[in-house]
Amino acid sequence: MIQEFVASWPLFHNTYLVGWLIGLLLALVGVLVVARDQIFIGAAVSQASTLGIALALGLGSWTAAEALEWLHADAFLSTMAVVFSVLAALLTGRGGEADKESHEAVTGWVFLVSASGAILIVSHSPHGLDEIHRLLSSSIIGATQRDIWTFSALVIVTAVGLAASHRRVLLFALDPAMAAAVGMRLKPWALVTSAWLGLAVGLSIRSAGMLYTFGCLVLPALVAKNLCREVRPMFVVAPVVAVCAGAVGFVLANHYDDPPAQMTVALLCLLLTIAWLIRHLRRSRDVR
Amino acid sequence: MNQRTEDYEVIVKTTGLRLGYGQRVVLAEVNVEIRAGEFWFFLGPNGEGKTTLLRAVLGMIRPQAGQLWVHPGLGHRERIGFVPQRCDINPTLPTTVREFVLLGLVGIHTDRNDETLRLEWALDKVGLSGLGGKDYWSLSGGQRQRALVARALVRRPSVLILDEPTNGLDLAAEDAVLRFLAGLHRQDRQTVLFVTHNLAIAARYATHIALFHAGEVEAGPRREVLQRHTLERIYGVAVEISYDPAGGAAVTVGPPEGSS
Repeated sequence: MIQEFVASWPLFHNTYLVGWLIGLLLALVGVLVVARDQIFIGAAVSQASTLGIALALGLGSWTAAEALEWLHADAFLSTMAVVFSVLAALLTGRGGEADKESHEAVTGWVFLVSASGAILIVSHSPHGLDEIHRLLSSSIIGATQRDIWTFSALVIVTAVGLAASHRRVLLFALDPAMAAAVGMRLKPWALVTSAWLGLAVGLSIRSAGMLYTFGCLVLPALVAKNLCREVRPMFVVAPVVAVCAGAVGFVLANHYDDPPAQMTVALLCLLLTIAWLIRHLRRSRDVR
Repeated sequence: MNQRTEDYEVIVKTTGLRLGYGQRVVLAEVNVEIRAGEFWFFLGPNGEGKTTLLRAVLGMIRPQAGQLWVHPGLGHRERIGFVPQRCDINPTLPTTVREFVLLGLVGIHTDRNDETLRLEWALDKVGLSGLGGKDYWSLSGGQRQRALVARALVRRPSVLILDEPTNGLDLAAEDAVLRFLAGLHRQDRQTVLFVTHNLAIAARYATHIALFHAGEVEAGPRREVLQRHTLERIYGVAVEISYDPAGGAAVTVGPPEGSS
């Protein structure tokens, strides 16, 4: 099995590396999402980036002029995915205050508008509809050398940022009221974390599709939450879980000729079930 | 930054301070002088601006008018410890008492040794020694409240600000928290600002009281502020105040026994 995987390396190494790097990046960002209890926001942000891609595909199919050739470029699709996911992250980060709509309501609206809009925009374009379905199901993880550099840079910046300000990040995520009381400015913090979430999700969706992106965003962090006794080690455990599940998932997918994204997400779900069981057993033992 | 405040030195002074949110004015003319080593109770019915004044001292809202002076020794809030009304941490998240308390060090430069010393000191102060590794969610309500106080104390604050910290606690836990704070004030000359609407505990523990009512604040030493006619005007009920020889005071709500 391993040998088959090694044999496939020359052909698919970009895909494997980008898949693992996306897992690593989203697992780090996902700890914040899970710590702030914003899993549904993760889903809405992922869905919003598919709306951006659908809109880009729609614009491309509606305009045939040569001068607008850039509308068909891959970079334009990625940019639209990122722009829409950043906008969704910023929008869902608002609300919840007095006289405003709740977070859940805003997030639900973003999710549903994106889900319905993405399909409606490309419904009369066979290629567009196919592309959106492919993105939603993460049927292919497409990657280039440039993606490897991009995601490597994002992982490094995220890890360094978290390491440099881990206590502030923790306090902001865990207890914003206290964070404000000790002088942290919550609005810029919320802005930066939402924008970073949008950037990470938007770029990942373009390469790996929604299922893999959303799975890597929440599942490793949830596994870590159930295995760790503190929040801080979750920032180490979640990426390790994501990369290990990605490695095993890709090997299995290669051997059984299954889609790697689905295999990895299924493995992460299995790991989460085991983690729930471990936590339950630990709790029972502690009570005794 | 590490300049300490001396006993009886003024640490917070407000002159004609007006506070509010947007166009709404909550407090109109606040004149308060708080000195190091005093135990202040901010007292008054709900919605009268007690928390608003605290938020201003913490720098979370800006004055609409007037002046608010905070001792430079308090730095950019490094030397202020704050205990919020409630802690909204996601209860499904794993955390230990140690991790929770150390979150209080945000904005303070420490090394690992100093961190450990501060942690042990703070836990010892609140009676949670040896519980650093314990799951925060396995603590009782009273212990969690003490952990909140420890999170504020780990900053080694010159001023400890507590916003209704005994809300939701049973009598025993409330008493334990108050006794601990009184001890901290008595032994360490810790300056404490305590927000509550509970007249009885303010009468018992305060050295100074700020009474909040209808956008105004009446502030000063307990004996000066805790007057029968003032309390009856603010709360709209008859009260009796009695002082014991040890310096404590008790407030009884309603007409004295035997009166008709």
